[in-house]
Amino acid sequence: MKKTKLTPYLMILPYVIFFITFISFPVIFSFILMFHKWNIIAPMQFIGLSNFYHLFHDSLFFKSLLNTLIFLIVHIPLQIIIALFFAVMLNQKIRFIGFFRAAYFLPVIVSGVVVTILWQQLYGFESGMLNRFLSAFGIAKVGWLEDSNLAMMSIAIMATWKNVGLYIILFLAGLQTVPNYLYEAADLEGATSWQKFRYITLPMINPTVFMVVILSTIGGFSLFIEPYVMTGGGPLNSTLSAVLYIYKQGFFFYHMGYASTLGFFFAGIILVVIVIQKKFVERDA
Amino acid sequence: MIIAVSIASFTISSCHSKTANEKLVYWSSNNTEEIQFGKEVIQEWNKNHPDNEIVFQPVPEGQSSEEVILAAVVGKTTPSIYGNMWQGDVEQYARAGKLIALDTLPGFNEFIYSRCDSSVVKEVTSIDGHIYQLPWKINPIMMIYNVDIFHEIGYDKPPRTYSEFLRAAEKIKKVDKNGYSVRWIGYVEVLVTWWQRFFDFYPFYLAASNGGHLIEKGNVAFNNKYAIETFAFLKTLFDNKYLPRERLSARQDAFLSSAIATRFTGPWEISHADKFKPEGFHYDFAPLPVPDDFIGEPYTYGDTKNIVIFNTCPNVTTAWNFLKTMLSEKNDYKFLRITSQLPRRKDLISNALFLKYFEEHPKMLPFAKQSKYVKGPDISEILKEVFDMISQQFEACVVYGKITPEQAVNEAAKATQLLLLK
Repeated sequence: MKKTKLTPYLMILPYVIFFITFISFPVIFSFILMFHKWNIIAPMQFIGLSNFYHLFHDSLFFKSLLNTLIFLIVHIPLQIIIALFFAVMLNQKIRFIGFFRAAYFLPVIVSGVVVTILWQQLYGFESGMLNRFLSAFGIAKVGWLEDSNLAMMSIAIMATWKNVGLYIILFLAGLQTVPNYLYEAADLEGATSWQKFRYITLPMINPTVFMVVILSTIGGFSLFIEPYVMTGGGPLNSTLSAVLYIYKQGFFFYHMGYASTLGFFFAGIILVVIVIQKKFVERDA
Repeated sequence: MIIAVSIASFTISSCHSKTANEKLVYWSSNNTEEIQFGKEVIQEWNKNHPDNEIVFQPVPEGQSSEEVILAAVVGKTTPSIYGNMWQGDVEQYARAGKLIALDTLPGFNEFIYSRCDSSVVKEVTSIDGHIYQLPWKINPIMMIYNVDIFHEIGYDKPPRTYSEFLRAAEKIKKVDKNGYSVRWIGYVEVLVTWWQRFFDFYPFYLAASNGGHLIEKGNVAFNNKYAIETFAFLKTLFDNKYLPRERLSARQDAFLSSAIATRFTGPWEISHADKFKPEGFHYDFAPLPVPDDFIGEPYTYGDTKNIVIFNTCPNVTTAWNFLKTMLSEKNDYKFLRITSQLPRRKDLISNALFLKYFEEHPKMLPFAKQSKYVKGPDISEILKEVFDMISQQFEACVVYGKITPEQAVNEAAKATQLLLLK
């Protein structure tokens, strides 16, 4: 009897150990750090709510939030439209379908650092292929990464290129669950392709749309590698994402308490955004 | 979270007490050459001191050696001796009481004054008046230049002053038939990352100001004409497109492919250049350009790495005796020979032993001559933040021309002073 009760606990023990070590301990420790000043070397010093006071007076943090928002505004719609378009295309009976599905997915599995370095070459002001291509048509050089008004959008385009394959696969899975008889019935009623897409496909794949919106929102909020490798947050802090800023506070300057405060505050913002998205995007199919 | 987990693992592994009989542990930098040097020296020490053996270990792998040391400090698993401490980090550890004050050890003062100039001793003296670090190695930042490009524009010698450099820049600038710049006089990394300023603003500021301070006696010391001149000079280079704003780091080596004619770098460039340079490519090194009215020998940043003894050391006397051996003339020579890094000693260009090396390696000679005029970072707990403030203004002023050099220096100085008052 006793042995039977113990077995389930033993079965979940590896995950419990993982959870305690890598999730609950760091989260609890970070929570404690929010009320302390700690540079790792010297002992922790209790400072009450000073980190929060600093946060609400830190204009650079709010700039990094705004930058992240700009990234999300460009990245999420672009990602959904492109992914849905290619998913619908790849859901047709076309030749080499396996090849195309694999090709679109390829950037997802390539390291973010590698993709970033490649795109850095494409975006180069003087030697980049994009500008060379544009100038062949007499179009002036574009400061993809040098112009502070454009740099975040350039990063959003690159991130879309890298991640879109994953969302294509998700949409494809969603599209394949739509029963064929609905389209047949619509055909009998004389519905156009657009009407079928608008009134059958979209409502039927709503759970997938919701999942893609949530995943790309969370992915977008975690924007880090691209600006870290490509621009370091510049020009003029225009690509400084919130996570990059938190990383700099924590690992450049060892303001561990402040970085924890920023991290929790930022997690709260993500939570609020996800709740709002859930309210507006998720509908019963 | 990463730090929290590292700390936990280091703490778990440190659950044993140190005893006087415990062997001392020496951590070196983890590059191949320094590992070889460390192993050889410790092997010899252990042979001669079987009762006081030392364990050699390169600093464990981590994202950076700094993070590894931090985690080790928290977990109390620091080595007895660490041989790769950036001078700018020492004050934080000293303030936290993690380091042994070396000037309290017998014979330390005689040793350091016989090895270094008094200016170096002053440079490494902590705010509390003690010395926690032993100056060991330097890699001065100098200007590497493409001899052939400068010959092509009629220069037999590299430019020495700002005006000469700007005139050369105009001649070197090259644009292709489509209007694309294909050659510049140099390259400065436009990233705002604080340590990037070790390769542009900081060495140029040191050169212009005769080794001036950023922070002195707890106050801002860079709100002066030298900082403004440095900003103005670098800004002119960007304004006139003599330096590219585009990052060139992700392409073929811009210097060796002659896309840029100079670079501000250290002696590590020699082995890289010799390995990858195209046939017929000639390069040399020169001090950094200085303001036109400058008289004397220009200083530069030395990328100083020093040795510290942590308070976890079980036998400080043995550690100190070992350090005296490791930094002996014979071992400094061995260090130079194996690693091509310069030991920070005052007789580097007067001692016949070292001169012999520089005769055999003439490319290292300019660095050896420069070694008399290098500075390490100032003593301050908030040095990284100071460099970050300067870097933010550097980007706004020098790279994007949004503010004047005067405004940039004022803003950086104001922000730094506020930090110092906290």
